[in-house]
Amino acid sequence: MGEAAMTVGARPGALVEESPYGIPSRKLGMWLFILADAATFGAMLFAYGYLRVANPDWTRPFAFWPTIANGIAMTVVLLTSSLTMVAAVAAAQAGRQPASLRWLGVTMGLGALFAALHLREWIAMIGAGWRLFRNPMGGPVLFGATFFGITGLHLLHVITGVVVIGVIALGFRRGRFDAGHVETTGLYWHFVDLVWMFVFPLVYLLNVR
Amino acid sequence: MEPRPSPGMKMYVTVWIGLLLIVGAEVALTYARFPVGRLLALLLVLAVVEAGLGLLYFMHLRYERPSLFWSLIPALVVVLILMDHFWPDALRLMHQRLGAGVGAP
Repeated sequence: MGEAAMTVGARPGALVEESPYGIPSRKLGMWLFILADAATFGAMLFAYGYLRVANPDWTRPFAFWPTIANGIAMTVVLLTSSLTMVAAVAAAQAGRQPASLRWLGVTMGLGALFAALHLREWIAMIGAGWRLFRNPMGGPVLFGATFFGITGLHLLHVITGVVVIGVIALGFRRGRFDAGHVETTGLYWHFVDLVWMFVFPLVYLLNVR
Repeated sequence: MEPRPSPGMKMYVTVWIGLLLIVGAEVALTYARFPVGRLLALLLVLAVVEAGLGLLYFMHLRYERPSLFWSLIPALVVVLILMDHFWPDALRLMHQRLGAGVGAP
C-alpha cells in the first residue's frame, strides 16, 4: 500500500492504513458481533427445526386468537421500530439532532411495547401450565424448552436494545456520541428485527393448531 | 471515510411495506394447511427474503463496499450450511443409543 493510501491516525505520529471496508472500527466490530450472534440463533433454530420436523406428535398449541394475532401485532411493532430507527439514523447523519432523538424515543417505545406484548403472552402460557420442561397438553416436553429458550434469548436482545438505544440517545443529546454511534446502534436493532423474521414463522406459525 | 449514499425515506417505507406484505403471505400460507416439511421450506424462503431486504436496505449493506459483504455473508452462510450438515448426525447418534438400549439385557 502506497503512502497516498495511508492516513494519519488518532495517535500523534502514527500512520494507519485505511480500512479495506471503508467503515469505522466500531461499525466493523458490530458487524462481527452480529455475525457471531446470527450463528448462535442459527444453532438454536436449526436444533428446533430438526426436533419439530422429526416429531410427528409435536404439540401445536397456538390458536389464531390470541397467540397468532398477538404475534402478528408484535411483528408489525418490531418492523415499524426498524423504520423509525432508520429515520433516527438518517436524521442524525443529516445533523438534525432533535429529530433523531425523537425517532430514537419512538423506537424505544416500540421496543418496550414489543417486550410488553411478549411478556403478556409468556405470563398467559405460564398460567396455562407451560414450563421449560413441562407440557400441559401431554406432548413432547421439548416444546417448552425450545419455545422459551428461543423467544427468551430474543426478548433479552430486545430489552438490551431498548436500554442501549436509551444510553446512546442520552450521550448523543449531550454531545458525547455522534451520528456514527447512532448508526452502529441501529445495526444492532435491525439485527434483532431480522432474527424475529425467522422466529415468528418457525416458532409460532409452524405450531398453529 | 468517504460519505456513503443513502436510499432515502421513500425507499425505507417501500421496504417496510414489502416486509409487512411478506408477513401477511406467511400467515396466509400457514392456514393453507401444507404438510409440515413443505410449510417449513416455504416459510424459510420467505424469511430469507425478509432478512435479505433488511440486510441490504435497513442495514445499508447494499451501500457499503462489496468487500464488507463478501467478508461477512459467505462466512455466515458456510457456518449455517455446516450446522445443517451436522445436526442430522446428532439424531443418528440418538437413534443408535435408543437401538442399543432396546437390545441390551
